Parts: sequence; structure tokens; C-alpha cells
Amino acid sequence: MTTLVKPRTLFIGLTLLCGLATWLSLALGPVSLPLWDTLRAALRLMGLPIDAYGLEQAELILGQIRLPRTLLGLAVGGVLALSGVAMQGLFRNPLADPGLVGVSSGAALGAAVAIVGSAFLGGLPDVFGPYVLSLCAFAGGLGVTALVYRLGRRDGQTHVATMLLAGIALTALSGSAVGLFTYLADDATLRTLTFWNLGSLNGASYSRLWPLLLVTAGVALWLPRRAKALNALLLGESEASHLGVDVEGLKRELVFCTALGVGAAVAAAGMIGFVGLVVPHLVRLLAGPDHRVLLPASVLAGASLLLCADLVARLALAPAELPIGIVTAFIGAPFFLYLLLRGRA
Amino acid sequence: MRLSTSAIALVVGLLINHGALASELPQRWVSAGGALSEWVVALGGEPKLVGVDTTSQHPATLKTLPSIGYQRQLSAEGILSLRPQVLAGTEEMGPPPVLAQIRSAGVQVEMFSAQPDLQALKSNLEHLGILLGKAAEARALFGDYEQALQRQKNRLVKIQATRQAPGVLLLVGNAGGKPLVAGQDTAADWMLRQAGGHNLATHTGYKPFSAESLAGLSPQVLVFADRALTGEAARAALFKENPILASTPAAKQGRVLEVDPTLLVGGLGPRLPQNLEVLSAGFYPTSSEATP
Repeated sequence: MTTLVKPRTLFIGLTLLCGLATWLSLALGPVSLPLWDTLRAALRLMGLPIDAYGLEQAELILGQIRLPRTLLGLAVGGVLALSGVAMQGLFRNPLADPGLVGVSSGAALGAAVAIVGSAFLGGLPDVFGPYVLSLCAFAGGLGVTALVYRLGRRDGQTHVATMLLAGIALTALSGSAVGLFTYLADDATLRTLTFWNLGSLNGASYSRLWPLLLVTAGVALWLPRRAKALNALLLGESEASHLGVDVEGLKRELVFCTALGVGAAVAAAGMIGFVGLVVPHLVRLLAGPDHRVLLPASVLAGASLLLCADLVARLALAPAELPIGIVTAFIGAPFFLYLLLRGRA
Repeated sequence: MRLSTSAIALVVGLLINHGALASELPQRWVSAGGALSEWVVALGGEPKLVGVDTTSQHPATLKTLPSIGYQRQLSAEGILSLRPQVLAGTEEMGPPPVLAQIRSAGVQVEMFSAQPDLQALKSNLEHLGILLGKAAEARALFGDYEQALQRQKNRLVKIQATRQAPGVLLLVGNAGGKPLVAGQDTAADWMLRQAGGHNLATHTGYKPFSAESLAGLSPQVLVFADRALTGEAARAALFKENPILASTPAAKQGRVLEVDPTLLVGGLGPRLPQNLEVLSAGFYPTSSEATP
């Protein structure tokens, strides 16, 4: 099998890219900090004994604003790309994205219930509000996915095609429910809902970051262990089971990991499209379909893409900010097309 | 001797204290919220503004300031890059985690009310007056405002003794496109009532209308607020896009009024009393105009 780049080169390249994106994400922002200050503040945050004099602002911006935001970007980008690989492997279809099992639309429904509901109840206390939104989105995503999975099961077997169709039906259903909430919402609530649907890494805080980091770490460590099984699944379900893969167990794990990962990502940062669909493709175009490479490389690529998109989102209109969902597609889609056409030539 | 020294100390102390107070007033402001920014300007605070949000459209000079984006979707670092001492906004400002970040950076986050009622405006203006060092001016402004609204009320009482309130619909649209009708519990509804109109819409919030139900309501006056167009162009676009409106009694009699949509967001603004007067004049035309 010929690939554009060798796995080793790809990993080195992606690690460098991810490191660079992380550094840029920490070093650049609407507030221009001297590079030296950024560096010293970063070292101080790592616990090195550096004189704090004159570093208060840099430390605050770095520690309270840019670092949580960067970590959020890394986690969300990584877990979305990983879930994309899982879904494309499960459905054996490169068009599959994490939304297919209903996790995105379920999360959107949960968010709509939370936003419109809390506006209807006259607003929740500030300390409480954001968590309700995240929890409802997470619960919505998990709930709808569980339902899709249930509907896809018959006689102790999961029928992928049925699951796919059930996913489409439930996505449409949640979509109409969200539409109903949109209709019921007042002007202000509507705006909140719209912005939530476009996603943002804005306002990242550690308290909301930890659950996502844990989930991401869990999924990122777990899924690569199933790389060989996913490779076998590429041949077909019966072929995979003849090769000794517990296909039913694998399907369950893939759906569960996706629901958990995407649910947590969406709960923390809103809906961010495109990453889950296209990053696995990008990596596949570069390094071929072997999941042993694809899974870990997608994490790095997804994280890098999201950080780059976020940089554009916060610098393009500074001091205002663009929703990141607009940017991911805006920079990702042309790049994807370029790779696609180049591969054909 | 002792007395005079302490007297001098007292005078000096007062002077220093006074000077310190004046210089302690925040000099760099970011304001989020249309009406609020207008009040800041009305109190002479415009030179102190270093940034405003996208709802702050009046006066037009505010548009030349750096924009911090939409008030519900603020960015902490973006605002901090303007090095403000005060971020003034209404309860519509957010998201809360961003406000917390801004607070932790040592910026005073001052909350005002966006409720369309006089009590809220009073406390807003008092609060603003203190922050801008213009307490007396703020009181005077509120006094004038209250009087203007009272005059408006008195006029209405007099008119309504002899004439019935006209049935009105207020349409909010964009370049004539499918408009939303302002229902109950909206700032627009409040405005219509203050101007002496009877809002025919019974739903709550802003909702798209169905042609049939609109024909059944037969409004005597149409008020439109267009976000993209003004004047004759907006009116023409509205009727072109929505032919059903042209058959209403209001359109046939040419009783179609316009309000600035920026009046409908962010609480009571300084331009409101004057606009109410204009609306009122449209609702109750003098007899010579009513019979053309």
C-alpha cells in the first residue's frame, strides 16, 4: 500500500504541528504580550521559580484565559476527530460523522431545552446556569445515541443500516423539537441558541475543562487498542468475526466512546462541525486507512486544526470574536478540496 | 497654633482627597448595551469610551470605536486588549464565565438594568452619574426624562377622553423581508402603549405572522422597524415583499409609521420620549390631517 507519507514522518510532522499550534495559541491573542513575558509566565505556570515582578498581566492572561482555552481546543479537536474515525470505521463509510448516531442533534436538543427552559423559568443563578446547559447537552447527546443504538438492535445483533436510518429519523425529530423551541424562544434566547449552535472556545474555565479532559484522555487511550479490530471490520462484519473480532462488543464500544466524547465536547464548547468529518479524511489521504496510524494521528490533526481555527476566530475581528464553527469549515474545506483534487491528478 | 496647623492639615487633606477622588474615577470605559451607551454619551462620557458592543449604534460616532462584538458573546481577551477600567453592561451581557475572567483581571464590571421601566432607569442613571462623576447632571437628566414621559401621559389622557385608541401592529423586519410581529411582553408593546396605541397582536414575543390572521386583525396603523432600510425605501420594500399588508386599512389610509429598531433593545434610552411623541402624533392625527 502506497501512502503519501510514512507513518513515522506523519507522526513527527503532526507532533510538531500540534506543538506549534499550542505555542501560537498561548502566545497570540488580542492582548499583545511581549514574547519574553509570555515565555517567563509560561515557565512560572509550570512551577519554575521565576521572579513574578511585572508578570502579573501576562500570568493572568496566560493562566486564566489562554491556557484553559488552549486545553479546551486540544481536547475538543482531538476527541471530535477521534469520534469521526470511530464512526467512519463503524459504518464503513467515509461520509459518516459523529452526528450520524444522533449525538450532536441530541446535544442540541438538550441545549435548547436548557436555554429556552431557563429563560422561561426566569433565568438561573449565574454560578449555576452554564453547568445546566452543559449537563443538558451532554445528557441529550447520550440519551438520543442510546435510543439510536437500542433501535438498531434486533435479536441480540446491532444492524448498522437500521442504526443509521434510526439516527437519521431521530436527528430529524430532534431537529423539529429544536425548531419548536426556537419558535417559542424570545429574541434574546434565540440569539443565545444561535451562537451556541456555532460553537466557541470562548470563556473556557478549568472547572468545566476537567470533565472533558478526563473523557478525552479515556477515549484517546481506549480507542487505539481497538485499531486492529477496526482494520478487520473494514473487510466486513462477518469477515471480522471470522478473524476473531467480537463485532458486537466493538460496535457497542465505538458508539459509547463517540457518544461520550462528542457529548462532552459539545457540552463544553457548543456545536463545532466539520472536524469530525474531515480530519479523518485528511489523515487517510496522507497516510492510508490503517487504524493503528489513523486513530492517534487524527487526535493530533484534529487538535491542531481546532487550535488554528480558534486563533483565526479570536484574532480576525479582535476585540470581537467569531464563532469557531464558522472558521473550522472556512479554512478546513478549501484545504480538504485541495488535497482531494491533488490526489486525483 | 495647634488649631491653625490642624485647620491647614484639614484643608490640605480635603484638597488632596478631592483631587484623588477626581483622578480615581475610571477613565477608560467599555460599554455594552445600546441604551446604556447612549446614556453614557448623554452624560458626557463619550471621550472615555474605548470600545462598545454591536448594539451600541447611537450616536453614529460610536460606530468608529472598536467593536467588542455582540453583548451576549463577549471575549475576555478582546476586551482586556482595550485596557478598560470599567466594563458597563446590562444583565443581557455575557457569557458569565467571560465576565468572571474580566473581573479577575481587575476590570470593574458594572451591571445595569435593561428593564423598560422608570425605576430601573432611575437607578441606572444614579449609578452612571456616580461612576462618571456627574451625579447632579444624571439627576437632572432623569428629572427631565420623567417630566417628558409625564407630559406624554397627560397628553394621552386628554386625547383619549374623546378618541379611541387605534389598533396597531408593529412589524420588525430586515429590508422588507418576512417581518416579525411584536406581541405582548416586548419593548415594542410597551412603546406602543406609551404612545397610546392598542397592540392588536395577542401572542407573546416577536413572531412571524400568517397572512390570514393579519387580514382578520385589520390594523388602523402599521408601525415598522426595519434593521436595514429606512424611510420610503423601507416602506416600499415592506409592501412589495408582503402584499397582504397593502390591503390593510392602515395601508389604504397611508397610516404607516416608522420607528428606529435600536429603540427596542436594551431598556429606556434617551431618545425615547421624543419618539413617543412622534408616534403619538401619528396615532392621533389632528383633524385636518385625518380628513384629507
